[in-house]
Amino acid sequence: MAAPATFVPITRAANPARDRSGLFDEKFLKTLEHLHMVSRKVFSGNLRAERRTRKVGSGIEFADHRTYSRGDDFRYIDWNLYGRLDKLLLRLFEEEEDLHIYILIDVSDSMAIGSPLPKLHYAMQVGAALTYVGLANLDRVSIIPFGDRLTDRLPLSRGKNRIFRVFDFLQKCPIGGKTELAECMKDFVTQNKRRGLAVVISDFYDPQGFEQGINTLRYYKFEPFVLQVYDVREASPKLHGDLALVDCETGETKEVTVSRSLLEAYEREHAKYCKELESYCTKYALPFFRTHTSIPFDELVLKIFRSGGFLR
Amino acid sequence: MSFLGPIGFGLWAYVALGAAALAVSAYIIKMRRRRFEVPFARLWQRVLEQKDANALWKHLKRLVSLLLILAILGILLFAALDPTLGAVDREARSVVILLDASASMKAMDGDEAGTKSRMDVAKQRAKQLIDSMGGGDVAMVMKVDGQATPMSRFSNDGPMLDQIIDDKIAASDTPADLPRALGAAADALRDRPHPLIVIISDGAFPESQLGHVEWGPPRAGAHANLAAIDLSNIDVRYLPVGRRSDNVGIIAFNVRRYIANKAAYEVYIEIQNFGQEPAHRQLTLYNGQTAVDTKRLDLAPGQHVRQIYPKIPGGEDNQLRATLRPVDGPGGTDSFALDDTAYALLPARKKQKVLMVTSDNLFLEGALLVYDNIDPLKVSPAEYAAKPSIADGMDVVIFDDYTPDALPPPPASLLFFHPTGEHSPFAIRGMAQTPHITEIDEGHPVMRWVTMSDVYMDKSEVFAPDPKKGESTLARSVTDPIIVAKRDGRRKILAFGFSLPANGRDSATDLPMRVAFPMLLVNTLDWFAGDQADLLTTYATGQRERVPLDGVVGATEAEVKGPDGTITHTPVLDGLATFYGQKVGYYDLTAKANGKAIASISLAANLASASESDIAPSSSLTLGGKQLEAPDAFAITHSQKLWIYLLLLATGLIVMEWVTYHRRITV
Repeated sequence: MAAPATFVPITRAANPARDRSGLFDEKFLKTLEHLHMVSRKVFSGNLRAERRTRKVGSGIEFADHRTYSRGDDFRYIDWNLYGRLDKLLLRLFEEEEDLHIYILIDVSDSMAIGSPLPKLHYAMQVGAALTYVGLANLDRVSIIPFGDRLTDRLPLSRGKNRIFRVFDFLQKCPIGGKTELAECMKDFVTQNKRRGLAVVISDFYDPQGFEQGINTLRYYKFEPFVLQVYDVREASPKLHGDLALVDCETGETKEVTVSRSLLEAYEREHAKYCKELESYCTKYALPFFRTHTSIPFDELVLKIFRSGGFLR
Repeated sequence: MSFLGPIGFGLWAYVALGAAALAVSAYIIKMRRRRFEVPFARLWQRVLEQKDANALWKHLKRLVSLLLILAILGILLFAALDPTLGAVDREARSVVILLDASASMKAMDGDEAGTKSRMDVAKQRAKQLIDSMGGGDVAMVMKVDGQATPMSRFSNDGPMLDQIIDDKIAASDTPADLPRALGAAADALRDRPHPLIVIISDGAFPESQLGHVEWGPPRAGAHANLAAIDLSNIDVRYLPVGRRSDNVGIIAFNVRRYIANKAAYEVYIEIQNFGQEPAHRQLTLYNGQTAVDTKRLDLAPGQHVRQIYPKIPGGEDNQLRATLRPVDGPGGTDSFALDDTAYALLPARKKQKVLMVTSDNLFLEGALLVYDNIDPLKVSPAEYAAKPSIADGMDVVIFDDYTPDALPPPPASLLFFHPTGEHSPFAIRGMAQTPHITEIDEGHPVMRWVTMSDVYMDKSEVFAPDPKKGESTLARSVTDPIIVAKRDGRRKILAFGFSLPANGRDSATDLPMRVAFPMLLVNTLDWFAGDQADLLTTYATGQRERVPLDGVVGATEAEVKGPDGTITHTPVLDGLATFYGQKVGYYDLTAKANGKAIASISLAANLASASESDIAPSSSLTLGGKQLEAPDAFAITHSQKLWIYLLLLATGLIVMEWVTYHRRITV
């Protein structure tokens, strides 16, 4: 009879995710360096601080036209078009500037679950890897843990020599609490006026739903990058008998008699939930990745690089 | 349908209600569940919401589970009532089966062919009784031989009782003690409902045993019969076994040595034909393995023959055996072999080495010469004083008017005539002039058949015997002890206060001229040798006897080696060992102290019971004037027990419930 390994009872005092001392060791650092080398091969030809943003400004690369409004600079009126179409249109150029990357890591109680590697540790390793690549590419990177609020933040940094501050921050930042994605994203957009790439690493187990939080990022012109992390045995639990299932965040209790049909129904429901998240991202053309903790984090990062969703 | 269960319907109803309430409450009471933390209970909520659409079916499944449990309970409780197809119109009984295991049950007339014994048939009947027991009936099996031995407690476990009957009950070599067995059975049945005693026997009980029964309430006061067995309110039934009565048996066999000539002995034997036909037998008497005498006996029906074999010369072996063998032809059949052989033992006889320390005493030497069972040696007091070791290896040392400085070492027994001085074996407190023996201890072996009332003696030492040291007075003159004796460990010491007449002595007594004198010497030497003329060495089986063990000091237990080599132990009190012969044959009793044998005796046990040898079966038995009936109450009823089928059904339902629960069908 299989042991219910996924649902090891967790108490606040015995939370295995709290011990993060061995999370970023030398081996991890070497893996990061390897990832950086690979990323340079994948994106060879890109120059420092030459990430093109959607911001339309005073660059030299033509981007689009728009209708002239009173007060616009006459110098940007496309007179050729005026001659042909008899309409005043302004030429718009893509502005070239430093890319801002915000790594938003879910540190709620549900992320502490997972065996042998808690989801939180996995998320932090992936977040650190992405941070390192960003720093190495001279982008400005900030790390913002969140649960039911934004608990702390690592200010925007640049240069790969800042990676040890990143490790230190991730090892010491407070964790725990419920997942309130919408509230946290609202706070995030309020505190960060500078638009950029918002990488959200979470299990997206928010009773209020994930849509509102991601929509907030979209409305405020951030570029959401959705990375869902889950544990395999969380998706296919090996449970049996009469159980009282306790939500690790809300404390909500559900009494169930686990039968095979119930387990199958749960697996379907979990897959359906993940599919909902994926469909949402597809609908709004948001980069989306789903991974479980059994996949090595460097493999995931490479997969992200190859897909081109993280850096363009 | 009948219900034969041990509990009434009222109690059953209470138990059923209680069990049902327990089962229902077990379904109502909220189950304590194991707690597990999950990351997102909302997902489970959504699953359960879908499942709740089938809530009615779910509740129905739980109801099915409850109904299954109630059905199982109901079936088990119904089985406890022992439902039986077929009518039984009697109440539950408490039964004691008295199974006669006396010697006569060994008779091989259980069937016509003579291949089964009465015991075999009795066992078969007992098992039939047990197999026909109804619900609530309980039975106890009691073996009846010389003792009444309960072999089981009251039980309704038929196979267990059958096994006890098969394995633990066998006919013994003793007569049956029916009154004792009836008393034990009545005591066991006291205050039990519907008591019943069933006697399975051949009815071979002496008339004296059948009258000790009172059927009514016991009489009180002066008319009370304390020996009576109270069987009031107890139903007693009798099941006879046995077919034939042809038996010739030895009913008495004993032997004794002649007092005057202990080398010879005489044998007494008593034989009876208990059959209805003339019988012919060959009687052979053996001394050890040697046939001493053989003769043919022609016995009329019921004829009783007494035979005495006088003056048979002694042999090397002390074991005597008498056998009866059927003679070929008519009248030569015998169904009961146990009483065809009888055993007897001659009292042990040993030639004693006697050392006389005397100065030519003609009276003493002459008296000893008439006793052929001694090997005498004579020395003078001066020779003895020069070499006391001459007494080593002697059985008896006689000091005639001489008291040595030191007593010869044990085990030599000592006889003193006129001991004097401080070395006397008995303390001397004075001298009596012309004493007259006024009192003798007739119970002492030395003084048996001896008269000394008119013996003359001019003077005698007066002893001061100390009873605390085991010293006793055998003869006294008014209050003065003249003859004294004592046991000193395994040896014995006897002292006469006066001396025998001899040359050069100034004392005078006429004792040597009297008949009592050689008798005194023979008695003394026999006492020293532990040889008692009236000692019986042949006993009847099934009777408790007290047997003297000569010279026993400090032993409380004796070892008994039976005819089949089995070793048992029996208590010894005041030198008397308790002997109970279970089997016919020879027994050896040995008393031990500190691990060493200090005394032993051989005994023989025979059936020696005319009532047991009279094997004619009795088709009826009359106890206390009432003829017992056959136990018709145990007529086997053709009934079909249902409990086993109900149990199987319940087991099937339990398995079904288990499977459906663990497959989460009824959850």
